[in-house]
Amino acid sequence: MNAVVKKSVDRRTFLAWTGGIGAAVLASACSAPSSTKASGDKVAKSSKDVDTVAWDYPFTFLPVYAGVAKFAKERAKEKGVSLEQTNDNGKPDVQASNLDTLIAKKVPAIVSFPMVFEALETQAAKALSAGIIWVTYGGTLENQSASITFSFEEGGRKLGEDAAAWAQENLGGKGKVAFLVDDTIQLGIERTKGMIDAFTAAAPDMEVVGREQAIDPDTALTKTKAILAKHPDVNVVLGITDGAAFGGYKALVESGRSETDAKTYVGGQDGDLGSLELIKKGTFYRASAALQLRDIGNAVIDVPLAVADGKSDAEASTDVPITLVKQGDALLDEIIAQYG
Amino acid sequence: MSTTVNPRQLARYPLIPVIVAMAIGFELSTGSFMGSQNLLGIATDSATLAIVAVPSALLVISGYLDLSVGSTYALGAVAAGWLASEHGGGLLTCVLLSLLAGLAVGAVNGFLCCVVGLSPFIVTLGTLTAVRGLAQQFAPLPLTSFGDSFAWLGGAKVAGLPSPVVIALLVVLVAGAILALTPVGRHIYAIGVSREAAYLSGVRVRTVPFTLFLATGACAALAGAIKASVLGAVQSGTAGSGFELAVLTAVLVGGVALTGGSGTLVGVVLGVAFLGILQNGLTLVGVPTFWQQVAQGLALVVAAGLAYLAPRLEALAAVRPQAARRTTSEPTPATT
Repeated sequence: MNAVVKKSVDRRTFLAWTGGIGAAVLASACSAPSSTKASGDKVAKSSKDVDTVAWDYPFTFLPVYAGVAKFAKERAKEKGVSLEQTNDNGKPDVQASNLDTLIAKKVPAIVSFPMVFEALETQAAKALSAGIIWVTYGGTLENQSASITFSFEEGGRKLGEDAAAWAQENLGGKGKVAFLVDDTIQLGIERTKGMIDAFTAAAPDMEVVGREQAIDPDTALTKTKAILAKHPDVNVVLGITDGAAFGGYKALVESGRSETDAKTYVGGQDGDLGSLELIKKGTFYRASAALQLRDIGNAVIDVPLAVADGKSDAEASTDVPITLVKQGDALLDEIIAQYG
Repeated sequence: MSTTVNPRQLARYPLIPVIVAMAIGFELSTGSFMGSQNLLGIATDSATLAIVAVPSALLVISGYLDLSVGSTYALGAVAAGWLASEHGGGLLTCVLLSLLAGLAVGAVNGFLCCVVGLSPFIVTLGTLTAVRGLAQQFAPLPLTSFGDSFAWLGGAKVAGLPSPVVIALLVVLVAGAILALTPVGRHIYAIGVSREAAYLSGVRVRTVPFTLFLATGACAALAGAIKASVLGAVQSGTAGSGFELAVLTAVLVGGVALTGGSGTLVGVVLGVAFLGILQNGLTLVGVPTFWQQVAQGLALVVAAGLAYLAPRLEALAAVRPQAARRTTSEPTPATT
């Protein structure tokens, strides 16, 4: 009998708890903004109100991150603000969770590079409603104070066009090309599309002999070696990152290709130091669609401060151009020097 | 000399027919799989995996596990690359620093797992994250321009074979000799089967696995240094990323039981070869990226199924000849 009573009490307690939790969830859902478009009325009124900028960059494992971080830190010091950084491990769910923490902490400004842009509209809206400046990095959101943009597709397109022009001039438009791509994240998909579309449109007679997933040198080395086993006469290897293109370059050299072979073209994107040095040396690593690390690093601090000083989205936002650097370009030395 | 295939050997190593079938399939569909250049390329690419998978297998046989090898690989690559690029370090000093870094990680893992008695899964998962952070903190930007001396480690040829392959062969031979010819080899199996029974038999149940943690750390760091030398560059964020899963896969597909106490080095080498051939063949055939993932997953499930069936097939292969002998001997009158 006691056991029966105990069981029914347990059940009642359970129902009470679950009912309470359900009501709380419902209440919080009802209090969420009815529209995802937030007003952002309570944004800081002067750059003096912004003592901290939180920079949320999910791809901390990429070399370009360290370069941009270096300049962002320098700029933050110069402007007298502290720079907070997240560690998202390249995972969208961790990114959302880290942003929720920053919003709860009420940091004055967040600069975030969304892994999946649409997925972060809610966080951006929440931040704006809480009076936090939200700067979207690498694209734009509906809910934002301003943005720092650089077109990933354009970077890929510039590289594809240059490689195609080289192939027309040096191979008569006939030869073999392999692409080292990324089909997993938005920026990679955009770069891949720009690169392949531009190349195949401008050099339609080039035979595509490989399209392999590779963003790092190690994977790219293995994949390019396999492509070379079947097609030892590949002329052009284009990489989604300079890391991937570097691996492709190494595979070609390992297969016996001279480092200055006139009939070979390797190109990548990002502007990594190792790749830029190969371009400078005059090897067949001929071009990189390079990000301007200093400009991006400065923008991470300058754009939220501009918003705090009352500038509108259009006035504060900045577009950092991606430049194709090749041997002999003045910018090549400048970017190499930026790596210190 | 008999050329017949021993069914017991085939049953013990079910990956052999799988690898042969894969090789024939890839050769028929591409016409370039069996080329010496491609086979040498597979061997070179798989060498670093073998260098780490072999000591890792001994660790698993002894009932332990090291999940931190991917980050130790990165730390070893960074240590060697940093010395080569920033201080013009020579081959020996670079390798030595790399080995020291790996030994340090191995010592931490070994101390916490074997002496303190914490779970190897938790401890090495922790060091996987911590050591990656350490490598990235130490070298946030890519390291390049290593010089000719360090380039020898990954680019030299010894007796016509690439140096990574030679180093991998040496690791396999040394580990094989320890397992087959020394009491330590038997102790590794004994600890994996029952730590208590091994302890009561006088086996050093802490020292042996601790030494294996050291060996695994050192080999992981050495593999990282070799790959840094092959590439001529190190990216601390991506070097060895996911490598721990490749190592564990090679070990398990090679027939080593995760529960410890059983497994062979031949199986592990076959596991490494299986992964290398699969990766290379799918790229050669031109299978699209996501279908490659599907194919790799399915192939691993099939290989794991075969590894599960292997002991049963071996037992069956051992029973059948005895049964056949009994049947054929039945009509013969007893001699007693």
